[in-house]
Amino acid sequence: MTEVKVKEFWRWKEYNWHDENKDWKGAETITAGVDVGSVSSQVVIMVDGELYAYSNMRTGSDSPDSARNAMNWALEDTGMALDDIHYIVGTGYGRVNVPFANRAITEIACHARGGNYMYGPSVRTILDMGGQDCKAIRCDERGKVTNFLMNDKCAAGTGRGMEVFADLLAVSIEDVGDLSLDVEEEPEPVSSTCVVFAKSEATSLLREGWSKKKVLAAYCSAMAHRVVSLLDRIGVEEDFAITGGIAKNSGVIKRLEGELKINSLKSKHDTQIAGALGGALFAKSLAEKQRKKGA
Amino acid sequence: MFSKFFDWYENRHDYAKDWIKKTGGEVVGCFCSYAPEEIIYSFGLLPHRMLGSHEPQDVTEPHIFGMFCPFCRDVLAQGLKGRYDYMKGIMLSQSCLHLRQSFTSWRNHVPVDYAHYLYMPAKVQTEHARPYLKGELEKFTKSLEEWTGKTITDDQLKESIDLHNENRRLMHEVYDLRKGPNPPVTGLEAMVMVASSFFVDKKDHNAELKRILPELKSRSLDRETGARLMIVGSEDDDTEFVKMVESVGATIVTDDHCTGSRYFWNEVELKNGDLLQDIADRYIDRPACPSKDWEERTRFPHVLKLAKDFNVDGAILIQQKFCDPHECDIPMLKKYLEDNGYKSLFLEFDVTVPLGQFRIRTEAFLEMIGEEDLF
Repeated sequence: MTEVKVKEFWRWKEYNWHDENKDWKGAETITAGVDVGSVSSQVVIMVDGELYAYSNMRTGSDSPDSARNAMNWALEDTGMALDDIHYIVGTGYGRVNVPFANRAITEIACHARGGNYMYGPSVRTILDMGGQDCKAIRCDERGKVTNFLMNDKCAAGTGRGMEVFADLLAVSIEDVGDLSLDVEEEPEPVSSTCVVFAKSEATSLLREGWSKKKVLAAYCSAMAHRVVSLLDRIGVEEDFAITGGIAKNSGVIKRLEGELKINSLKSKHDTQIAGALGGALFAKSLAEKQRKKGA
Repeated sequence: MFSKFFDWYENRHDYAKDWIKKTGGEVVGCFCSYAPEEIIYSFGLLPHRMLGSHEPQDVTEPHIFGMFCPFCRDVLAQGLKGRYDYMKGIMLSQSCLHLRQSFTSWRNHVPVDYAHYLYMPAKVQTEHARPYLKGELEKFTKSLEEWTGKTITDDQLKESIDLHNENRRLMHEVYDLRKGPNPPVTGLEAMVMVASSFFVDKKDHNAELKRILPELKSRSLDRETGARLMIVGSEDDDTEFVKMVESVGATIVTDDHCTGSRYFWNEVELKNGDLLQDIADRYIDRPACPSKDWEERTRFPHVLKLAKDFNVDGAILIQQKFCDPHECDIPMLKKYLEDNGYKSLFLEFDVTVPLGQFRIRTEAFLEMIGEEDLF
């Protein structure tokens, strides 16, 4: 019997990075944020308030293991050990299951704080398009949350939904956005309330002879519609930024910007690390407070 | 200290069956907090406000529309599943269409000897509502006379009014203790205290309240109060939700729910020389359900006063999914509270509570109203 090799089109790039030019050994404060999300986990390590290392990988079925794996990967080749980190904040849906965290903070607060670092203090609205939910967050110049809204009990408009579509159409998840923009005419969006319904709708469209690009366009458009209604409920104040994995999907972002008639800010950092980054920044404030208290 | 109330709340059916055995009386199931319990009780009957059981169920589908609220489905399910097989009478004091559907389905599909529909005026703000409701109460009294074969004297009715007023005063005393900096009562305990009063003979409830009150005044809870929250909205006896909120750094110090303060907030004042009119006035003047609170929103200043009196840091606006009267008011109420310096979080109940999803929203809300230490 020959085994059929199935390509996992949904699989996005997992990676780690650290700043080879930075010497952390003399640092005063080393902190980390661990974001165990529903789909992906990230660890960000900061040295004296500057980004030093991070990792980004898929979340497994066990939250503590996912946190450990992501941490080990972020520490890889840095010479740093877990014990060298002064304060660790856990965030994401697995925030209470990070075994080595000193404190858990919600990803809503962390995305606002991380977004503030990534895009600057002028950001007032952050849209986090995560693995299994979307959050519209309003914040002040420090990255403190002033209001927020989450989507309800549905994975449409999220990373998981996009993965389902990548697999259905056998298109690599990283190509989905650009391909969806390569259509002559924008099609009507598919159902935006349920991934399963959207998938069955897409299957019938393919049967009708729609091209993959056109179906992707219809799905990206549905995702954009869905989050626009979430943003409308909370109100968008500029500057506006998007975090999370879907921020890398040009097909959703361009359509979203078109509907809002607002451009989102761009960052040199990976949009998926915003939550962990916010966690590491909170960890720095908390470490300093702890030190002051102890002194 | 509140174990008796928890026992009553959790074993409501056992209590009702024992009460029937002990007194020889009957239990009357009430569908809404607008039921004039004083009248029912004066006949030697035990009013019992029906709540759901918060379990997924599959028995109400043929009887209730999908877009009706989870509470009305959950209540009807209790009847269809035979959990009230000891109950001979039911009555509805009209508040919303959803609960009316539960009442009519119950009447049609669950065997009862007595069912009365009392039209509680929707527009309580018109001067016609008072005489109208008095007339409805007369009809209700008459129908109970026919069913029980008894007539009640003014003295009996007055005794029942006094008993109910005493219960209201005692629960107020417990609520008052929550105004201080370290409330000796958790939100969970307060919720169960009020909810148990729906099922229990007020004589028993009053006795227990009187027993705990002196101790309660000097009680110190071994927990941090954290953020002081109020909960505002529709029917809510979701103890799991309150437990979760109080486990993440907050205490619920007051509420505006028909299963909480709205139920007992005002007394029957004997001022008309006519007991039925006095009772009618009580239900017209009580803190309103939004289904009756128009054209002026009298609830809003009432909620604001609660927020101030109980010194709250923020509010959770929580309603049964598809509860239109609340849903329509919430954007306005949210803005009203915000304009007065109170932030709020909006959540929607279903039969079961998605605790994980509610927890992140609650925690983020708490961080939002008090995260200064994070910066």
